[in-house]
Amino acid sequence: MLIVDSLSKSFDKGKSFALKEVSFKLAQGDVCAIVGESGSGKTTLVRLIAGLERPDGGSIILDGKEVSSIKKLVAPEKRNIGLVFQEYALFPHFDLLKNVMYGISKLKNKKARAKEMLELVGLSGMEHRYPHQLSGGQQQRVALARALAPNPSLLILDEPFSNLDAMLRMQLRSQVFEIIKKTGVTAIFVTHDTQDALSVADEILILQNGKIIQKDQPANLYIKPSSIYVASLFGNTIQLNKEMQTAFDCPLNPKCDHAIRNENLSINEECEYVTHARVLKKTFLGTGTQLLLKLDNGQKISVVTKEREVADRIKIGFNSTDLLEFTG
Amino acid sequence: MKQAGSSDIFSLKARLNRLKRDTNRWSVLTLAIVGFIALPIISIGVKLFAGPGETWGHLVDNLLVDYIGNSFFLVFFCSLLVLLFGVSSAWLVSRFEFPFRKQLEWLLILPLAIPSYIVAYAYAGIFDYGGSLELLLRVFDIDFFRIDMMNKFGLAFVLSISLFPYVYVSSRAFFLNQAGNLLEASTMLGIGEFKSFFKLILPLARPAIIAGLILVLMEVLNDYGAAQYFGVNTFTTGIFRAWFALEEPETAIYLSALLIAIVFALILFEKWQRKNQQVASQKASKFSHRKEFRKPAQWLIFFVVLIPVSFGFFIPLAQLIYWAVLTAGNVFDFDFLLLSLQSFWIAFVTAVVTVIFATLLIYFAKWSSINTVKSISKLGILGYAIPGAVVAIGIMIPTLALDKWIIGIMNDYFGISAGLLINGSLVALVYAYAVRFLAVAYNPIESTGLKVSKSIPDSSRMLGMGNFRTFLRVEFPLIKTGILSAIILVFIDVMKELPLTLILKPFHINTLAVKAFEYASDEMVMEAAIPSLFIIFTAAIPVIFLNRLLIKD
Repeated sequence: MLIVDSLSKSFDKGKSFALKEVSFKLAQGDVCAIVGESGSGKTTLVRLIAGLERPDGGSIILDGKEVSSIKKLVAPEKRNIGLVFQEYALFPHFDLLKNVMYGISKLKNKKARAKEMLELVGLSGMEHRYPHQLSGGQQQRVALARALAPNPSLLILDEPFSNLDAMLRMQLRSQVFEIIKKTGVTAIFVTHDTQDALSVADEILILQNGKIIQKDQPANLYIKPSSIYVASLFGNTIQLNKEMQTAFDCPLNPKCDHAIRNENLSINEECEYVTHARVLKKTFLGTGTQLLLKLDNGQKISVVTKEREVADRIKIGFNSTDLLEFTG
Repeated sequence: MKQAGSSDIFSLKARLNRLKRDTNRWSVLTLAIVGFIALPIISIGVKLFAGPGETWGHLVDNLLVDYIGNSFFLVFFCSLLVLLFGVSSAWLVSRFEFPFRKQLEWLLILPLAIPSYIVAYAYAGIFDYGGSLELLLRVFDIDFFRIDMMNKFGLAFVLSISLFPYVYVSSRAFFLNQAGNLLEASTMLGIGEFKSFFKLILPLARPAIIAGLILVLMEVLNDYGAAQYFGVNTFTTGIFRAWFALEEPETAIYLSALLIAIVFALILFEKWQRKNQQVASQKASKFSHRKEFRKPAQWLIFFVVLIPVSFGFFIPLAQLIYWAVLTAGNVFDFDFLLLSLQSFWIAFVTAVVTVIFATLLIYFAKWSSINTVKSISKLGILGYAIPGAVVAIGIMIPTLALDKWIIGIMNDYFGISAGLLINGSLVALVYAYAVRFLAVAYNPIESTGLKVSKSIPDSSRMLGMGNFRTFLRVEFPLIKTGILSAIILVFIDVMKELPLTLILKPFHINTLAVKAFEYASDEMVMEAAIPSLFIIFTAAIPVIFLNRLLIKD
């Protein structure tokens, strides 16, 4: 339903690219997460899809219709895309009902529809409150109700949870995606939090410096990351360079890079590849302990273990099934 | 999928394609407004090619030196005085505690409510033979000493004392918001207060101070009423003489062009000095508290700050009130009431028209997708730099041409002999005001607009509303205070405006400013007091009201 073809955008006339030749497709009903660090071009990408920015190259096809190219641009208001902004962008001078009714003013039963949407996000009874009277999480849900009211063919959420604290974030995340699944809308959401992406997306797209470096399902992305950068986005990884390979006595294909996830390192257990290490420093983290280790060949690494009590000298190892291999 | 290299993306063909895609009606309309506003200046430029008038040679030989000399004299002396009054009072109110500091802080702005030509009348009256000073001295049995105000020194004093608040406001803003940490750090290092101010604060405040100074100098070059009354030849009086006395538009146009060149040189200098200044820390740092001396020293500061307020506001105001009491019987009548209403009405209509133009210019440029168009839209506010007399000449040219064209058509095709339609009508006058005061409306609207997050209009568009409906339903309600302040500010400026109005006003219409000028020119300066007071009060009350509005906002 959405085809993005070699899309490029530069804000400085080609000196640097916010987005460079990005291509991907999205199927009806899918929830796609766009993950990247700040400055990776993810917000630019969704603003291009929304029609709020104009591409310098490439095209966007929505429901079989070209909406953006270098020759054509369908106005954002004619795209039937819902967008939930990072800072919610509720209209401060309207109450909730009016906010939600804003996009469906031509509908006959707009009031009923707006009430229905507010009920869907669990805010019925608050129709006549004003945005400034709401908490951040509530504002977020109003923004969602407002974006969903016109029945958009595509819903975009730009960093939807970044302004919320950790507790609320978890709670709201599950609520929001329950609602999204219930409505069956195709959705794109932008995040720099990989936990958000892993837990709710059907598909994840990783952006780095304006380019897509990997696009896959969450599980695949976790198991088979295409680069050490992608791997490290989803948790601490330890790169297995030459010295590390000697330390663990595991000669690996020299043409590839290798890494192991921190959580796949086991301490004082039988593994295929093991080495001994001296614990230089222990830092209590609450959920576990961070250890600074000095391997017997002098390499220093930092690992996190669930154990509270760790001896000063330990055995550390991993299995070949947990190895991450990156070609090229 | 086709692969497009980045070199293709910025090929000429791709650029043209995008330009075609991004050209919308908003781009065209933005350029149309800028063109409309720039038309007077363009007209002057075009008319230069027609050559100077007959007296130009004579003028260059005899008067031009005088014009240039006097204008530079005024620029130099006004700069000195304005910096002295403005910077010192700004530093004192932002750094020290003293009696009535809060009241003086806003009283220091009020001299702006009295147009310079009215301050000129007042001081002429005070120092005249049989004037207020002589009367006052007689009470105390002191021999009268007369200071002759009617020369370029008097003019420089009058202009400075009525315009210094521009420098006061801009430097106070810097002292209040930026100087706190700097001064603390400097005094912690053992450098005294006095030395810190001159070595550290003043150099850093320079861009802010000069920005205010440039506004003063533009007003100095714009002044006609005061210079004319004091008999000092400046560019503006020269333009008037060429236009009215010599009836030689070509000469007026040449003088206008020279004056524009001087103003642009000032603007370029301002931009250049700002570029040269390294960016100071943008973080606001306020003084944690004002310094408190012992009481006698505090009263000393009070009197020092009172000096510019008294000379700029209270003394001229007292003189005017005294005259007003004497002349109330002669001046107040039904005609005067009618004249005042006319003046208010013109100012109000102009304010609304100007604000509409400014709003359209800001939002059309925003909706245009071409960055070049957005940059060009900023040119629309340069009218404020152009002296009123020059704007008036610039409006005369195209409106006369248009009228002649219409008269020709009426005559040729319909056999009707029509008179001038636009030239000499209210339309031309309002047009000229709008050109000159567009910036006055533009700035408050733009700055309140900047407070509205970009995602607010964006989300309205994502919900299916076009640009225009988004503006009406979402943006307009959120920038209402900016629009209201813009209307008030333009209203005040139109009430005070003199040179442009003198040149362009329709024959049967009068304003309070023109009435005051006419009285003063007809040796009836005492009668000028009442229309002057009307202007001052209409200008002062909104200033206070606006202050409230902005604080509430």
